[in-house]
Amino acid sequence: MDFVAGSRTRPEPAPAPMPVKMVIAGGFGVGKTTAVAAVSDVPPLTTEAAITEVAAGVDDISLTPDKTTTTVAMDFGSVMLDPTLKLYLFGTPGQDRFGFMWDDVTEGALGALVVVDSRRLEDCFPAVDYFERRTMPFAVAVNRFAGAVPHPLDAVREALDVESEVPVIEFDARDSESVRDSLIIVLELALARAMAAA
Amino acid sequence: MSRNTGDARPGSAASRPDGEGKAPGVVRPFLLTEGRVVAPGAELPMETQVVATTEGLHQLGALAFERRAIVEACGTPQSLAELAVRLGLHLNVVRVLAGDLRAGRFLTVHEPRAAISTDVDVLRRVINGLRAIPTAAGRA
Repeated sequence: MDFVAGSRTRPEPAPAPMPVKMVIAGGFGVGKTTAVAAVSDVPPLTTEAAITEVAAGVDDISLTPDKTTTTVAMDFGSVMLDPTLKLYLFGTPGQDRFGFMWDDVTEGALGALVVVDSRRLEDCFPAVDYFERRTMPFAVAVNRFAGAVPHPLDAVREALDVESEVPVIEFDARDSESVRDSLIIVLELALARAMAAA
Repeated sequence: MSRNTGDARPGSAASRPDGEGKAPGVVRPFLLTEGRVVAPGAELPMETQVVATTEGLHQLGALAFERRAIVEACGTPQSLAELAVRLGLHLNVVRVLAGDLRAGRFLTVHEPRAAISTDVDVLRRVINGLRAIPTAAGRA
């Protein structure tokens, strides 16, 4: 069966669907929540997630000698893909002078979409670093703000210096089809990796 | 600008969209759990599904306050994250209380399967499921 069940009886309430999740990461105001909302069955909810901050900056390191746990507001939505399969989409904040460990959110995620505003490319560096370190399948999605992408995708790829297998794509966070297709691109990468490893 | 040059770290420290200063509730969250917290690393994933048992729904009277609200809400399966939002409780409080309610057989807790993220069949199902969802173009 699909779950580690917590009890011996089959409850009368509807059976739980199998939960799967993906992460939508990126800097502040880049369109993460918009992207979640574009495909979610329900308006995004906001929860507080624990994150571990690892001091990575040069200043104030004496104040954060090791790591600290804090909470951040995080938006999430869900898509009922079929009666037994529910996809959760978690939007994780990512602009900070700290390195991030979003393990609480990303553990078990199928993959991640890193949303980028090409005018503020550096905001996505922590997310890209993080998913590379975790070897989690991810794609970089340049949000098409108000029509045009100001920088060509080749330039974005070069600046980010991601591996050649990492898709760098253009998308519109407001458009459900565009967001859906971007998530599928991440999942196809995840599938290719899983098949290669099998 | 390149990510892998030393000075390219994100610089602006100011604007962090976190929830700092937002009170999670009137009662300090961990009063509800008698001070107990989930051991770091042992947390149930936030997408873990929680469902009331039939017995649980029949024995609501045995429960009070948050515990009762959790079992009532779980007549419909939902994730720990959704439950926390709907009941206005801290996620980690819901984790602790859901563990108690599972032990008392009021709830069943369905953790995501281990290694699900590299499961070829699951990945294919999610891809096919996403291809089939109605998009704005389809709805219009």
